[in-house]
Amino acid sequence: MKKNYFILFLVFISSLLSAQSKIDNMYLLQTKTNTFGLSTINLTDPYLSPLIYNGLGLRSQFENHRLLKLDNNNISTQSKLNLTGALAFNPTNTASMLYFGANYGWGLHYHFRPLEQLQLLAGGLIDIDFGFKNIPRNVNNPVNVDLATNLNLSGLAIYIIQTRKRLLKLQLSAQSPIFGYMFVPKVGSSYFEMFSLWNLTGATHITSIHNKRGINGTFSIDVPFNYSTWRLGFRYEKLKCTANDLVFKKEEISLLIGTTFDVAKFSGRKNVAPKNFINFTK
Amino acid sequence: MDEEPQQPNSNKGNFEALWKIIDNQYCYLDYKNINWDSIHSVYNSKITDSIDEYAFFDLMGSMLSELKDGHVNLYTNFDRSRYWKWFSDYPTNFSSKLIYSSRYLGDNYRIAGGFRYLKIDNDSIGYMYYGSFSTGFSDSNMRYMLSYFSKCKGLIIDVRDNGGGSLDYSEQLASYFFVNDTVTGYIQHKTGTGHSDFSKPTEIKTTAHKTLQWQRSVIVLTNRMSYSATNDFVNRMNHAPNCIVVGDKTGGGGGLPLSSELPNGWLVRFSACPMYNSAMENTEWGIEPDVNVQLTTGDEDKGIDTIIEKAISLIKK
Repeated sequence: MKKNYFILFLVFISSLLSAQSKIDNMYLLQTKTNTFGLSTINLTDPYLSPLIYNGLGLRSQFENHRLLKLDNNNISTQSKLNLTGALAFNPTNTASMLYFGANYGWGLHYHFRPLEQLQLLAGGLIDIDFGFKNIPRNVNNPVNVDLATNLNLSGLAIYIIQTRKRLLKLQLSAQSPIFGYMFVPKVGSSYFEMFSLWNLTGATHITSIHNKRGINGTFSIDVPFNYSTWRLGFRYEKLKCTANDLVFKKEEISLLIGTTFDVAKFSGRKNVAPKNFINFTK
Repeated sequence: MDEEPQQPNSNKGNFEALWKIIDNQYCYLDYKNINWDSIHSVYNSKITDSIDEYAFFDLMGSMLSELKDGHVNLYTNFDRSRYWKWFSDYPTNFSSKLIYSSRYLGDNYRIAGGFRYLKIDNDSIGYMYYGSFSTGFSDSNMRYMLSYFSKCKGLIIDVRDNGGGSLDYSEQLASYFFVNDTVTGYIQHKTGTGHSDFSKPTEIKTTAHKTLQWQRSVIVLTNRMSYSATNDFVNRMNHAPNCIVVGDKTGGGGGLPLSSELPNGWLVRFSACPMYNSAMENTEWGIEPDVNVQLTTGDEDKGIDTIIEKAISLIKK
């Protein structure tokens, strides 16, 4: 019986490791960070209401980083999925807005290493953005959907601090959309006309900084404990876009907590990966 | 990227916000020859920040009633303004007591989705009463009903006192009476703040149902309270083969309503997207029936619904 379990274990480990690149016993590690947190959110959607809705939400972020090639530690890939759910209210608390947002992005960063403890990453990220906003009491315009795809400028600064017991990692990341495509309903048009009669004329727009400006940034610190590394983060997002004579705004402030680990098995200060396992902060 | 400044949450601010929402987004100001600037002057002089919430609400409700539109309402937690003259100034032409009498539906009628139905006139005529387009129905409901009426000479669809609901149900119900897809109307929306800034008309098609089609006589019964989505249904059925509309002129409600909010959180609903018949004529003031019949008090006293009886005679003719 024990033998069977051991064989199963070996199959499991080998399947995990086969997902990673290897050359001559060198392995590229994927660094995963999963964080969860609380957000305060302000939403302005004049298609639904001219008023600003404020509320609280829950946010989760799932990020992966990995060097692109084993023999080149200057370029890394990043993929991330962000999910937000929130309930917001108008200023007089007479109406509520349900918000759900999802964003998936993938990008590349070039690494600069001006100091031994400092890395600066610069690159781009393509994302798909989806948002669902619902004011149930509205008539014929109870829902608005944000649909967009963006090319973002992206940058990270990573600074490693050596303390007596630990290596602390400070990270500042920021992204800003520069070009893309988005769906914005026309102010006087109903969803009946758009989605029952399929008249979407004027509802899709090319975006650039002339009609879509925003930034989202996260400051975080990674603290390794014995067998796990925890991340504490503060995130700020501000977005403003305009089309069809409407100005949409979103502002979100989040406090995040989560873990970060190198797939498949290394995490914490006592479980450091051997030198032939290479993570994206090499 | 400039955005419009928000009005303060004061009586003046809320008045200005409401006036501007209607000025920019209401779709019938020019069609109804309403001088909205002059209405601003009249009501602005009556607004002070010292009048209480109820008095302010009544003033705003009064201002909105100048639009003469059943689709315009102001919703608060203590009241809802409304304009009901589109039906209250006219004969009712409907009595629920009559349709639920033993001559018509009686007590043992059947219910499928939002329909109450039964065979009447010695089982020769199918009769369906549909009281709200907010109450749904399925193809399966309709399949059973049409099968139940399969030996009837014709079908009466009574949409009197049906104040509307979903346009999707209007299209779905009409689809069972069409053989070919037909352009039955048009819709526009506001494209700017000018009172006549409208988009190009978009065709509204009524698609013939693929598997369920009633191809015998169908009579649609209307009165002034046939409004909004019901008005739309009657407009579609005007193009259905074998269909005759009988009763009184519909109440109208041809503008698809949208909603917005004032700084104090009150909701305003207003007609935003004008809808037209296939000749690009506005349907806001109602649709004339093919055969105008009024419910007479003499008949009503005898337990007879004049409009249903006329429909029966037209089917039997």
